[in-house]
Amino acid sequence: MAQKTPEIYSVELSGTEDVGKTDTGDGKEKYRGLKDKRLELKKNHQKEELKKEVDLEDHKLSIKELERKYGTNIVTGLSSTQAAELLARNGPNALTPPKETPEIVKFLKQMVGGFSILLWIGAILCWIAYGIQYFNDKSSSLDSVYLGCVLALVVILTGIFAYYQEAKSTNIMASFSKMIPQQALVIRDSEKKTIPADIRLLSTQGCKVDNSSLTGESEPQSRSCEFTHDNPLETKNIGFYSTTCLEGTATGMVINTGDRTIIGQIASLASGVGHEKTPIAIEIEHFVHIVAGVAVSIGILFFIIAVSMKYYVLDSIIFLIGIIVANVPEGLLATVTVTLSLTAKRMAKKNCLVKNLEAVETLGSTSIICSDKTGTLTQNRMTVAHLWFDNQIFVADTSEDHSNQVFDQSSGTWASLSKIITLCNRAEFRPGQESVPIMKKVVVGDASETALLKFSEVILGDVMEIRKRNRKVAEIPFNSTNKFQLSIHETDDPSDKRFLMVMKGAPERVLEKCSTIMVNGQEQPLDDSTAEAFHTAYMELGGLGERVLGFCHLYLPADKFPETYSFDVDTVNFPTSNLCFVGLLSMIDPPRSTVPDAVTKCRSAGIKVIMVTGDHPITAKAIAKSVGIISANSETVEDIAKRLNIPVEQVSKRDAKAAVVTGMELKDMSPEQLDELLTDYSEIVFARTSPQQKLIIVEGCQRQDAVVAVTGDGVNDSPALKKADIGIAMGIAGSDAAKNAADMVLLDDNFASIVTGVEEGRLIFDNLKKTIAYTLTKNIAELCPFLIYIIAGLPLPIGTITILFIDLGTDIIPSIALAYEKAESDIMNRKPRHKKKDRLVNAPLAIYSYLHIGLMQALGAFVVYFTVYAQEGFRPSALINLRVEWEKDSVNDLEDSYGQEWTQYQRKYLEWTGYTAFFVGIMIQQIADLIIRKTRRNSIFQQGLFRNKVIWVGIASQIIIALILSYGLGSVSALNFTMLRPQYWFVAVPHAILIWVYDEVRKLFIRLYPGSWWDKNMYY
Amino acid sequence: DKKSFNQCMAEWKLFLYNPTTREFLGRTTKSWGLILLFYLVFYGFLAALFSFTMWAMLQTLNDEVPKYRDQIPSPGLMVFPKPVTALDYSFRVSDPESYRGYVDDLTKFLKSYDLEEQKNLTACPDGALREQKGPTYTACQFPVVSLKGCSGVEDPEFGYSTGNPCILVKMNRIIGLKPQGKPRINCISKGEKTATLSTYPSNGTIDLKYFPYYGKKLHVRYLQPLVAVQVAFNTTSTGKEVTVECKIDGSPNLKT
Repeated sequence: MAQKTPEIYSVELSGTEDVGKTDTGDGKEKYRGLKDKRLELKKNHQKEELKKEVDLEDHKLSIKELERKYGTNIVTGLSSTQAAELLARNGPNALTPPKETPEIVKFLKQMVGGFSILLWIGAILCWIAYGIQYFNDKSSSLDSVYLGCVLALVVILTGIFAYYQEAKSTNIMASFSKMIPQQALVIRDSEKKTIPADIRLLSTQGCKVDNSSLTGESEPQSRSCEFTHDNPLETKNIGFYSTTCLEGTATGMVINTGDRTIIGQIASLASGVGHEKTPIAIEIEHFVHIVAGVAVSIGILFFIIAVSMKYYVLDSIIFLIGIIVANVPEGLLATVTVTLSLTAKRMAKKNCLVKNLEAVETLGSTSIICSDKTGTLTQNRMTVAHLWFDNQIFVADTSEDHSNQVFDQSSGTWASLSKIITLCNRAEFRPGQESVPIMKKVVVGDASETALLKFSEVILGDVMEIRKRNRKVAEIPFNSTNKFQLSIHETDDPSDKRFLMVMKGAPERVLEKCSTIMVNGQEQPLDDSTAEAFHTAYMELGGLGERVLGFCHLYLPADKFPETYSFDVDTVNFPTSNLCFVGLLSMIDPPRSTVPDAVTKCRSAGIKVIMVTGDHPITAKAIAKSVGIISANSETVEDIAKRLNIPVEQVSKRDAKAAVVTGMELKDMSPEQLDELLTDYSEIVFARTSPQQKLIIVEGCQRQDAVVAVTGDGVNDSPALKKADIGIAMGIAGSDAAKNAADMVLLDDNFASIVTGVEEGRLIFDNLKKTIAYTLTKNIAELCPFLIYIIAGLPLPIGTITILFIDLGTDIIPSIALAYEKAESDIMNRKPRHKKKDRLVNAPLAIYSYLHIGLMQALGAFVVYFTVYAQEGFRPSALINLRVEWEKDSVNDLEDSYGQEWTQYQRKYLEWTGYTAFFVGIMIQQIADLIIRKTRRNSIFQQGLFRNKVIWVGIASQIIIALILSYGLGSVSALNFTMLRPQYWFVAVPHAILIWVYDEVRKLFIRLYPGSWWDKNMYY
Repeated sequence: DKKSFNQCMAEWKLFLYNPTTREFLGRTTKSWGLILLFYLVFYGFLAALFSFTMWAMLQTLNDEVPKYRDQIPSPGLMVFPKPVTALDYSFRVSDPESYRGYVDDLTKFLKSYDLEEQKNLTACPDGALREQKGPTYTACQFPVVSLKGCSGVEDPEFGYSTGNPCILVKMNRIIGLKPQGKPRINCISKGEKTATLSTYPSNGTIDLKYFPYYGKKLHVRYLQPLVAVQVAFNTTSTGKEVTVECKIDGSPNLKT
């Protein structure tokens, strides 16, 4: 909603507190925000500045000073002319959307990236060659022009394809983000109100805001007019743009709008944080360098050889092009893109929406996950976890559906306690949700009350009905001074005319008001031993990081409080002491049930999970323990100190595996100290951290050469999300800024989904290795013909166009099929790959592909080639050094081994038959290559020959494409294919079988002798 | 992460030879030895295998006749003198050097048609295919005199010195080819009538007695029939350039 009225703002903020009642008690107060005059924020924001916290002074100023600063008056506001002027100067109150790379730039990047530049060079060389030819002889053939065009076409087509793939995956994201409005709006007459700008509060009434999107703190925070903290994020007299006001009302003065708000600053700074190159991008670059290096050096080497062998320079250039084309796996980058997007699709099904295709793999190489607590590790809703009554702690079921409440419900105390829980509660279900399961129903009320309502609804049935039967006659709502909530009800027992007063609140406050305690349904005097038991239980539950509430009741005597008695909550004309204590109930935001498993998986996968939360250290530690981030048997320094009863300073840091670090401690740490902390402890929890500190933590992890995944939802998280190797935004709780900055969006906010993502990412890395090995192999088989052609002068065994038909035709589907290969062993049981040591393309892979299988393939293909020539009349011995005569257009009577004479056209046709034969030879052996690439260590028979059906689709596609090329398009002379005799298709089969056998032997030795010379040199 | 030059050099030196691990180019002597041994064995095996398959493939071949002749269904024509680049001859009558190459080439080509060379060949009857059953195959004589002025006997300059150059046309050898009908080589001058063509033997006839051909090994000293074309430029025409097109006629199974 754009700002249509450049005048005085009038914004209503009202709380949700009083939905049960009419709005009268909490009359809407006009909040008169004044059109601001903003701080001139420094233009040159530095990243450092962001880490240091935000720059804002207004919270320290008095109202008078503020008035002066902004040239306004808090009663009358700005004049409309002034306001219009300011609007013109500062722009509307909206965030500038992050800058997008122009589409054309993205497209051009695809056109020149990777191998494209090499192919462009090839194409240009072709045209230059033709130019020279044309200059010498006007009637020279257009072959090299065609070839140049074909090469250019290949580059353009693969570029368009890659661009399309990229755009498609970006579109998924775009459509997703459209579901959420881009700008925070002021929503009137609804439950929650979003604050429209940064506001300095001038007067408040019970105002609470949810700053979670900004600071990550999930607790509602109260707001007042006093300046309480130097840090603008901590002080109470500032309300922030895009945060929500949960209850109460406030009036304030707008101090910043649009991009100048705190959120705006962060959002714009986040886009300034440099995005690191993804690991897979680095790997692919590395691979491109290797292949391009091989191509260029072989090309130049043979160019020199050719020139020194007295070939014409022009011919040598043509050879050079041939060598480049043979060496460059034209289809590979497109294949990689498809493979990644297939995995991205698979991950999206598992609730990981990947924005940037390359991030698919990054997740797999992740070695540290910095995870939020609330919502990611936990269910993001308060849930009753423990109960204490009858001097006993009972455990409540905190699983997602609460289905299994097993504690003892026979005691009379429980009957009383359950009544208090039910009655002393203002939360209600929204109407019209009868068919929704209880745990999913929407509740109007705060988190604790919601938890209690659902808890009682599950156990007792229809709470609303119970409340109706026990009509409420008076109520004192909870407030922060008395810290309790009280209500008085009629009982549902018609014979009992007494009123029941129920109270809940902070346990120590509630206990103060009690003189008796209920044990096994009987009231007993509250003596020291029972008080002691209470305290033990209270401490224990509090130590679990749970929020504890005390419950008590009192039956008001009927004689003093007859049915007609009129209760007055203002004068409190009823007793509020000497009550009967009934029990304690503690609540926590429980971990998601799938998380402990996922954390264990991470651990066995060698991934360190670090919790980073804004919550209290005790709660954070408790959750960390319950999900296994801090394992059951490891202790922090403080734990050891407590156990041994010695001061913390005396504990040897080496004994502790775990550490809980608060934001305050982190603030005082030097980068070196942080590094030490991150290396020394395997289990770390950061509590009470601000999102800014997240960035510091991420950078600390990255200094350890770790690949860091970071989860985040708040706007303030966005710099950390950008900085991380893979930023993961929450799909449900996440803000748009976070989603924009992230590489991946977790649709279900569930930590466990990250782990499935990691698994997919690791699998894709393995499978990409296989794909690349498969694709590189045939390069040698394509290259050797050129080398032999130059050196031994055979008629050219395979043409450039034919090579393109392998690279972009028969080989494409099989190489994609390898992406569907299942993992060979449990990939979640090995360490994450070291980003500098475990390369995608390593020396063994290149050597094995080029010098072993590639060479065998070349030999096999040559056999087919020689067979074709020999059976047509040219024996191998006759072919040597035949090249010059063979290629002379004027020679029309070239004699073969049998004395027959061949015209130039007949030779050309035979040459094309040779191309086709060589092509078929490579294709047949690529089938074997495809099969052996299914595994790198295991036998194919262990992996299952038929488990991956797509491989067979790939093989079928290879054969069908080859058949079409040979028999269908054999008559199209531009394609240089001919109809090949059926038996030639089988000539290379023995070689194909040999390749398979050889690879099985290789794998067998690798399995038999792990760590041996063979393993080191032959395992890729 | 910029390393100093010295650091780089030190790293390279360490890579070249690392005294602590005794690694040379990143590998110990033993590792290098194993690598060499491995590749020796592996490539030896591959070479042996390749040689074996090639040998096996050659065993399937017939020494006398190639397995397939489908790629040369009908014979091409070849002209002499041997064209250098394009099928284009130009010379000046006044300058013997300009046509010496052509004359030499023709002389050389006709060498195997010398009477001396042909005296052991059979004089075959004209007009019929000469199918032989072996085991020995004989070749027929080709009377070079039938080429008349282009035989080189009367005019060792093949007409070049007089401005009436000769060009010999031959039909490619193809094993087992049996022309049907009465094959002849028909040459015509295209474009403006600047010259008249004479073909020898008359009508450009190719006698059937030279067919079929039984291959280099069986059919030793086989001579293929020739046809000569002599160009006589019209004295009236100004241009002394002519485009000649020759093709096989008269035989339904021969096409060019």
